[in-house]
Amino acid sequence: MEKNRENCYEIAKQIYQLDKEVYECVGSSLGRTFTGDEATCVEEITRLLITRPQGHEIRSDIALIGNMARTIKNKEDHHRMMTQYNEILKKIAAIPDSFGSVDIINENLAALNTSNLRQKFSPDDHLIICIGRTHGSAGTDIGFALADKLKINYYDAEIFDQVLKKMDAEKEDIEDHSNYVEELKGKIAKKTGVGKFFKNFKKYHGLPVQDAIFFNQSDLICEMAKKEDFIVMGRCADVVLTNHRIPHISIFITASFEQRVRRMMELHNLNYKQAAHLLVKLDAKHAKYYFDYTGKKWGDAVNYDLCINSASYGIEESVELIERMINKYPNS
Amino acid sequence: MNSLLLCIPFAGLLLCIAVMPLVKPEWWEKHQALAVIVWSLLFIIPSIVLNGAGETTETVLECIVNDYLTFIVLLFGLFCVSGNITLEGNLAGSPAVNALFLAFGTLLSSCIGTTGASMLLVRPMIKMNSWRKNKAQIMIFFIFMISNMGGCLTPIGDPPLLMGFMRGVPFFWSLHLFPILIFNMILLLIIFYLIDKKQYRKDIANGLRPDISKPGVDIKVEGLHNIVFLVAIVVAVILSGTLPSLPMFQDAAGNVLGITIYKSVKLTFPAMIEIAIILLAALLSFKTTNEKIRTQNHFTWGAIQEVAILFIGIFITMQPALALLKTMGPNLGITEPYQMFWATGFLSSFLDNTPTYLVFLTTAGTLGFTSGIVTTVGTISVKILTAISCGAVFMGANTYIGNAPNFMVKSISDENGIRMPSFFGYMGWSLCILVPVFFIDMLVFFL
Repeated sequence: MEKNRENCYEIAKQIYQLDKEVYECVGSSLGRTFTGDEATCVEEITRLLITRPQGHEIRSDIALIGNMARTIKNKEDHHRMMTQYNEILKKIAAIPDSFGSVDIINENLAALNTSNLRQKFSPDDHLIICIGRTHGSAGTDIGFALADKLKINYYDAEIFDQVLKKMDAEKEDIEDHSNYVEELKGKIAKKTGVGKFFKNFKKYHGLPVQDAIFFNQSDLICEMAKKEDFIVMGRCADVVLTNHRIPHISIFITASFEQRVRRMMELHNLNYKQAAHLLVKLDAKHAKYYFDYTGKKWGDAVNYDLCINSASYGIEESVELIERMINKYPNS
Repeated sequence: MNSLLLCIPFAGLLLCIAVMPLVKPEWWEKHQALAVIVWSLLFIIPSIVLNGAGETTETVLECIVNDYLTFIVLLFGLFCVSGNITLEGNLAGSPAVNALFLAFGTLLSSCIGTTGASMLLVRPMIKMNSWRKNKAQIMIFFIFMISNMGGCLTPIGDPPLLMGFMRGVPFFWSLHLFPILIFNMILLLIIFYLIDKKQYRKDIANGLRPDISKPGVDIKVEGLHNIVFLVAIVVAVILSGTLPSLPMFQDAAGNVLGITIYKSVKLTFPAMIEIAIILLAALLSFKTTNEKIRTQNHFTWGAIQEVAILFIGIFITMQPALALLKTMGPNLGITEPYQMFWATGFLSSFLDNTPTYLVFLTTAGTLGFTSGIVTTVGTISVKILTAISCGAVFMGANTYIGNAPNFMVKSISDENGIRMPSFFGYMGWSLCILVPVFFIDMLVFFL
């Protein structure tokens, strides 16, 4: 199986390379078949080749490259590209069709063992912990305490400061919907009007403001991941890093609804009804935000390396538990 | 019975266009011309046996000279000129931007024709969405709206309306269709937005993102002078519709003057003027535009070549079906607006919408209305004329072959990394989205 994966990975790299070269030869600026970064695209093609080498999806993608290759005007380049194209087609035809067999599709996930989380990282990688949490579960406190204990940076609101600087925007113009509590409390004033619409339209390349912020946040998280160890709270950082093939540990912290309501009542001086109402709203917003940017269900255990019920451990024990799991088999 | 049998090659060719790219894509790409020749001969030879060589030659030449030639020259001209205009910029294709662009293109179609608007806007649309993976729906709605529906407001918009104008329908009468167009635009744009948003979210979830590193939108149009040639082509189309009615282009009997090719087949002077203007515009466009722009636009002859080959076959093999329609159309018992809408629309989905429109316009003219629009084929009630116009223009979007730009948009998309649906796959989209919208149109406007 490993040999087949290696073979598929090699072919995937060749397909990606061919797409790139064909696009360069054509000289077009209208876009190519594989639009993402190389690592992501190669992984995706590999997955398709392993699961459905003769399937419609991979066949269509390769046909699209062929379509473009046929339009290359330079005869030498045309011949070279079409030869490579034909060779790739032959190689794909030779891949055994394993679809429907019991092969493990996501080997990374299968290899995951919660007792050796640290082994996900090579010595060159930085330790990045992404924490998702429900409101009232003390997730923020756990994240902060963990960062303190591990002596690594903790990012939450800081990320937004940097994004604000990066986007060269006025602070009051940007409203982060992932910061739900602030939003709900109405601390951020919202401007409307045609003028603002056009200003934002121009500023964010026609993208919804929230999406543009997300893209810039994602860039920032990936840049930071190359430079330092850190803990990042929310922001779909787990999926952003997964999409960029950056090793990380993803943790989800929650507690029972009743416990969370009680904590919200204490923290924000609310009655039961108000706290429960606020939590339901916040959870729904959180889930929507996470689904919008990841296509995944927020809080679903299969999306995380580790899920913790903070009510069972408390803040300190939760921190110790995570620390133990990370450091049990350290690489260094 | 014989007429029905002669329709088989048309059905066969359509089936080939639908099935072969799926079954034998590489063979099909190389041998499309062969398939077209075979199916054309399968019509021509039996037709010679049944109707005689003279009549068959006349039929084939008639459709090539009078229909196909002007059709392909117009397409060629617009393809060349629009290929010399490039939109450089970093506007990112989001659902809202795409919807706005579709709305703009739909309205533009009535000003410069569905083919003109499609050719002009297809590349910018592809470019804006080049960062995305799931984008076929964008080009499908592009075909629905810009390549078809948008052409309903003026005779410049779509050839059937130009034919109507030539038969006495006032030039600005088509503006009466504006509420229907707006109604359809709203419905389709809502559906589009929802579908595109879902696909857009999928792209983002997969880690794709546009390049927004440079602050602000910087849009630059290169080759803008080609707009002059585009306008020249639009003028040529208008002239082709207006010149034949001028006395200087008619003989004493009122026939349009021209060069006789064979028996009654004549290449008329207005058609020659149209062709000359379009070809000159294309030539000048090429001569005055830097090749770099065509390279950036990924300008190739592939798309126009494919359309030229397939549509000559479609035009030739379609003749028996059109003849049948001309004979049977008036006897179909179609008298109600909703019947006109669906009958014109259904046939326009597969046949050329111009002759289909004319058949039903003529049929409507014989129904004996005393009030309505006075045309050379008789007085036609406003509701009936609206139904025929909408059917012919809107339902060309039902298939890839329903209207000329449909296939061009598909071919250009195919060449630029967009996985377009197959012939039947596209019909699935139109069945699921367009047909329900047309059904609502019927309930609201044609009952």
